[in-house]
This record gives sequence, structure tokens and C-alpha cells, in this order.
Amino acid sequence: MNNSNLSKFLRWETLLLAILVISIIVNASISEFYFEPGNISNIFRLSIEKAIVVVVMAFVIINAEIDLSVASVMGLAASVLAFSYEAGHPLILGIGIALLAGLLCGLINGFFIAYLGIPSLVVTLAGLIMYRGAARILLEDRSVGDYPAWFTGLAQNEVLGPFPITIFIFILLLVIAFVILQYSTFGRYVYAIGNNLEGSEYAGINVKRVKMWIFVASALIATVAGILYAARLGNVRANAAEGFELDIITIVLLGGVSIFGGRGTMAGVALSLLLVLNLRNGMNLTNVNGNTQTSVIGLLLILSVLIPNIAQSVQTWWNRRNIGDKDKRLLAEEV
Amino acid sequence: MKKLSGLIIAVLALSWTMGVFAQEVVVAEPGQEVDMVLMPKFLGILVFDQAHDGAVEAHEELGNTGELIFNAPTPENAIPGQIEIIESSITQGVDAIMISANDYEQLLPSTTSAIDEGITIVTWDSPVDPSGEALFIAQVDFSETGQVMADMALNLLGEDGGQFAILSATPDASNQNAWIASMEEVLAMDETYANLELVATVYGNDDPDDSYNEALGLVDTYPDLELIMAPTTVGIAAAAKAMQDEGLCDQVAVSGLGLPAEMQEFTEAGCAPEFALWSFTDLGYLTYYVSYLLATDAMVAEAGVTFEAGRMGTYTIEEDPGREGGLRVLMGPFSLYNEDNFDEWALMDDMEEPDMESTEESDG
Repeated sequence: MNNSNLSKFLRWETLLLAILVISIIVNASISEFYFEPGNISNIFRLSIEKAIVVVVMAFVIINAEIDLSVASVMGLAASVLAFSYEAGHPLILGIGIALLAGLLCGLINGFFIAYLGIPSLVVTLAGLIMYRGAARILLEDRSVGDYPAWFTGLAQNEVLGPFPITIFIFILLLVIAFVILQYSTFGRYVYAIGNNLEGSEYAGINVKRVKMWIFVASALIATVAGILYAARLGNVRANAAEGFELDIITIVLLGGVSIFGGRGTMAGVALSLLLVLNLRNGMNLTNVNGNTQTSVIGLLLILSVLIPNIAQSVQTWWNRRNIGDKDKRLLAEEV
Repeated sequence: MKKLSGLIIAVLALSWTMGVFAQEVVVAEPGQEVDMVLMPKFLGILVFDQAHDGAVEAHEELGNTGELIFNAPTPENAIPGQIEIIESSITQGVDAIMISANDYEQLLPSTTSAIDEGITIVTWDSPVDPSGEALFIAQVDFSETGQVMADMALNLLGEDGGQFAILSATPDASNQNAWIASMEEVLAMDETYANLELVATVYGNDDPDDSYNEALGLVDTYPDLELIMAPTTVGIAAAAKAMQDEGLCDQVAVSGLGLPAEMQEFTEAGCAPEFALWSFTDLGYLTYYVSYLLATDAMVAEAGVTFEAGRMGTYTIEEDPGREGGLRVLMGPFSLYNEDNFDEWALMDDMEEPDMESTEESDG
């Protein structure tokens, strides 16, 4: 009883919530602009594409896999859209082709990982290089812009208060992902496979299909994020979203998702996302430079690995001590 | 009545003339409160720190009671990071943002919304589209850069010419691309350069390791290569280091745009016999003056306006020939560095950053 209370108290989600509350209080006290509606909107708006991909990356990592190709898929999607638009086709067609390209990337990743059993680290690393390469082939060093106003408006126009529609797309996605991961059969499969792949196969779960679905979903969501990124910047280059995968994976891991799979919650991931965005915003408002910002996030990530481990060691030590006491008492009685 | 109207006209004419006089050379009024942000492409690059030094110098000289903030993104977050800094500067209500842009178009939604909020946007080193800035402080004329690079190539390869390659920053770096384009133009237009053969353009991403490897790659791919032209301070130093390490300096020369402080050893060793650059300290200083003048409404960004920029003297805003609808202030000119003027620039470096050698000399 005592132990479970202790472990509940030390649950990573609780800690995240505490750090988040502290960061909000600190932000509000050091910057008078923090609670301005425009700034609240900025917190989300300026990282919305990463936030969207974070949601699906949680599924991938809980499933004990990794998808390093998401940022390249984002870049490819944006580049395909730009290439088609540049060639004079209507933008809506470009969006359609981009989604197809994203689907194809997902099918390629999923096929090699789920059906050929090649480690996702290798497959998606290849994807990271290959899809970025394809984007560079399409756009070379050109930049393509001048999209119709309805498109750039998606990410730039304020629909409710200072919030653009992209934020509501993200919230909707988060809710759907939450329900699927925590309450559906599919969600249970994701955890089960992440915990014990062979056991899941023996239990009759169609592991291949679950993995295939996850990688297709990952690429498709990344495609949507890539299209929204193009809308926000109003202009596309082949290097769009380059390097985003590291930020995205960092947020998921910081959310308490185990890199070995099987553990973590959507709530933890959402809290971690809020925390990282808040910290970045606070540091931007106080003009903390980029290098320091990166270091702070890195430090948090190390803590997210260290603290649960330390908590576990403390618990083991506590248990042993209690057992030790009992043994002593037993010994005393015998004597 | 007639007399009165005549008088009015005379007064008007006089004030108009005075106005013109006042406009002739705009001078900054010190001591105003203007919050300004200086945003280079990245942090931790020597030239940008020098630009910061120049801006700080102007900041103190003008007695600005506001803040001068120096901030930039990390390289893996180049464009989104610059957008974040611009947006949070808007939230903080700063008066001016001085940007060396990582992209010509992608910062536009942020810079235009900053302009809508009444913030002065001045670009330096690397501009954005004219729709998203007041004006651009050009270090040198972009076409002059091409000319200078072509001349250095001719000088190093000789009349007989030979093969050379370009080692640039990133494929999307707008200033490097413009310089390379203008160099290619010079090579194509003028018979004098007919024997100079450009065999490849590669990109070291302004990363020392990448640039080093790209330079070695060039030597492997083109055995007859005689010159690597790097229009980036990171690239030229990395390429010169690569040639020095491989003992190739007598075969392949390195030239381009380099920092005297970083290039000294390579010029001494004959690996980089000649290169060019402008002063980034001056660039930061001039940028600050222009931004201060615009943000305090002492001056408007219009072609023909002349102003005084402290110790650097007077400059005039002009139309940017390279960018339609854009305005620029041209700093110029280039300084050429080679063995002949070694003493001069070595001395200059000592003044900027005293090193061991100069201490020894003064001791002796």
C-alpha cells in the first residue's frame, strides 16, 4: 500500500504537471506578455506541426518502434505540393498528390518493418535520407510560394480569438488519439506488442497489421503536418522541416514513453508537449538564446530518464530494508 | 493681401528649403529609448559576433536607453527559430528588428506582421523579399562580389586558366547564390576569363566538417582541379585546412571570402594566397544606425535619403539593383587580403583581438 502510494506520487505525469505549473508561474512572473492572447496563440501556432506529429509518434514508440523519417516525409509532402503547384496545377490537386506520396512513404516503411522484420531504426533512417533526397530532386534549390490566400490562411488566419484553425485540428487529433490509445482494442494491442512482441503473436494479435497501420498513420499525419507547415510559411523549400524528428521524439520521451516500448500515456505526452512549448515560449520572451534553450530541453530529457530510475532504486532499497527488518525480527524470535 | 500671400509663400518656400536641407543629411538624435533586436543567422559564428560588437558600439555611442537584444536560433532550427524570435519580439513590443535572414521568403509572414505592428524591419548580410523589410544593408555590391571572385580566380590560375570549383554554404543561402550567379555572369561575359573552367559547385552547409569533406571530395573527383573558391568564411577556412592537412597546397589553391583572423596561418603556408572580405563590425554598426534612425522616425526608408552613420560617415538609401522594388544602403567596399598586405591586416587583427604574438612583440 505504502509502496504503490510512493510510486503513484513519483509517477512521471505528476512530476510533469508540477514542472508545467511551475514553468507557467515563472513565465507569467518574468514576462508581462505571457498571458496575452496573442502569445498564448504563439505558444501553439509556432510549433503546431511538431505537436501534430508528436501525437502519432507516441503510438510508434509505445509500440517499441521508432520513426526517424517523419520530418523528411513532412518535407517531401510540402515539396510535392509545391512542385505540382509550380507546374500550374490547382493547389487542391497538389494536396491530393502530397497525401498519396505520404501514403506511399508509410506503406514502404510499414512493409519493410512489419512484413520483412527489418528494424524500424534502419528502415526509417533510410526513409529520412531517401524522402529528403526525393524532395531535393523535386525542388532542387528553388523556393515555391504565392499560394492562394485560403491555403496560407489555414495556418495564418485567426478563426477563433487569436487562434488559427491548425490549433483546433491538433486538439481534435489529440482527443482522437487519446481515445484510441487508452480505450480501444487497437490501443491495447499497441501496448501489448510494445511490451512483449512474441507473447502478443501467441495471443493471436495480428502484429504485422498493427505495425503497418501505425507506420501508415505516422506518415499520413506527418504529411498533413508538412502541408500545414507550407501553409504557415507561405513558401516551400526542399529543406522544409529538416531536423524536426529529434524535437518530436524528445517530446514523446519526455512525456514518459519508454524508448523500449510498452509504457507511457497520451496524457504524459500532452503534458510534456505543453511543458516544452511553454518553456520555449518563456525563454523566447526573455530572449534566452537558442543554444541555452536546447540545453534546457536536453537536461529535462536526461531527468526524464533518470528520475524514474532513481525512484525505482529508492523503492527497491526501501523494500529490502523492510525485509531486512522482518528477517531480524524472525531471527530474534527464534533465538 | 497680396503682400501677405507673398510672405506666406516666401515662408513656405523657406521652410521647404530648410526641410530639404534638413533632409539632405539626416543625423541621429542620441539618447532616445528604442528597443532593438539584432538577429544573425546563427549563434556562435565569429562574424556575427563581430557584427554584434559593432551594434553595441553604436548602441553606446547613441546613448540608447532602450535594450539591444542579440539572439539567433540554433542551426537545426534555422528558419522556425528565426520566426519564433520575430514573433516573440512582436509580443514584447520591440521597436526594431535587424535580421540576417536564413531564407528569402519564409520569414515574410512574420516580418510583415511585425511591420503591421509598427516595428522597423531592417535586414543586413542576407535580405528578405522587399515586401517584408524597410531596407537592406548590403555589405558589398552583389555584382562586385562576383567580379572580385572572378579576379581572384584569374589572378591565382593565371591567363592559361584551369579548373576550379565553388564550395558554398547551403543550397538555399540567398546571398551566396547571388554571388555565385554574379561570378558566373562575369565569367561568361568577359573573354579575359574564358580559360577559367568552373567544374562543380558543392555545398558544405556552413559546417566545418561538411565543408572539409566536400573540399576533399572535390580534389578526389577532379584530379586537375587547381582552385577552390569558397564564398563563405566557414567554407574557405575548412577547405584551406583540408588542403593543408593533405599536403595539397601547391596543387590546389583556396580563395573566396574569409576572415583574416582565421585565414592568417593558411595564407602564411601558401594554402590560401588571396581572399577578400568586408568588416562585419562596420556592418553591425551601420545596420544599427540605420535602424535607430528609422525607428525614431528621424528618417524614412526612401531612395535618395542621405544620413550620417557616426564614424562611418554619410550614406544614401538607393534602389537595390538586384531586387526589384527593394531599397538598400550599400556599405562596401571589399578588402583584399594576401601576402603583400600581410603586415597591414595582421596589425589590424592584433588591434581587434590581441594575441600572444603581439604581447611578445610589445615585451621585446
